[in-house]
Amino acid sequence: MSYKCSRCKRDVELDEYGGVRCPYCGHRVLLKERAPVVKEVDVR
Amino acid sequence: MADDFDVEVISRDEDGRSARFLVRGLTPAMANGIRRAVVADVPTLSIDTVRFVENSSVMFDEMVALRLGLVPLTTPLDDFELGDTVTLALDVEGPATAYSGDLETSDSLVRPADENIPIIELKQGQRLEFEADAVLDTGKDHAKHQGGVAVGYRHLQRVEVLGDRDGFDEEEPHILRGVIETDEGELVHTEEFGADLTNRYPGKELAVTDVPDAFVFHVETDGSMDVDELVLRAVDSLRDRADELATKVAV
Repeated sequence: MSYKCSRCKRDVELDEYGGVRCPYCGHRVLLKERAPVVKEVDVR
Repeated sequence: MADDFDVEVISRDEDGRSARFLVRGLTPAMANGIRRAVVADVPTLSIDTVRFVENSSVMFDEMVALRLGLVPLTTPLDDFELGDTVTLALDVEGPATAYSGDLETSDSLVRPADENIPIIELKQGQRLEFEADAVLDTGKDHAKHQGGVAVGYRHLQRVEVLGDRDGFDEEEPHILRGVIETDEGELVHTEEFGADLTNRYPGKELAVTDVPDAFVFHVETDGSMDVDELVLRAVDSLRDRADELATKVAV
């Protein structure tokens, strides 16, 4: 899972045991990034 | 019945986007059939699927896609069949507004009918990139495929001057919308005199009657094709279906 720290704006990889915390600045607010895949949408 | 139609064009825009014409010898059912065919039976190209590569704008993919579907595309109907697709692409980076004119097409015959339709406003760092498939389909399938917008008809109205009005009567406005036929056989749209008959015939007593079997159509297109082509294609589709019915009913 790739997240972005809302304070230092760095990419963060979360693992199961580390808890929700930025390893660089310790900030606890992480934002989930949009997946870099092409998304197909039907126009209906 | 089919051979005594009489068509007269009353007004027509220079860009071919809208026209007003009179048809005599129609039944109300036929008039409505033509209106419905113009709206629902003439196919136009519209964006149907969008593949988003990047969308960091403030709108969801689905919302952007819905807006894209409503962008009218020029449709050369001689070169396409129902279900044919054309690919379009757009790549705009903020700060800028993505307009319909920014869409690149794979077929030079197909392009946005208007270049200045805003798709979305992008701020610094936002980007919109996608590839889209436009499909040829009819208005029956989805309103985005409607070639005709604001299509309607009215009875032609005959205005007869009966004589001078009683001088003691208060002059009241006589509002009438649509096209009138005067005593001299002239066709005048009431907008020309402010839709008020007392402006054109001051102090006269008038009789307004519907002319039987005469309908004034007003047709406007979304730009995918000329009004002429749109109406002719609609009438063709009506005739084709009538022929199909006739051959299937005949044993």
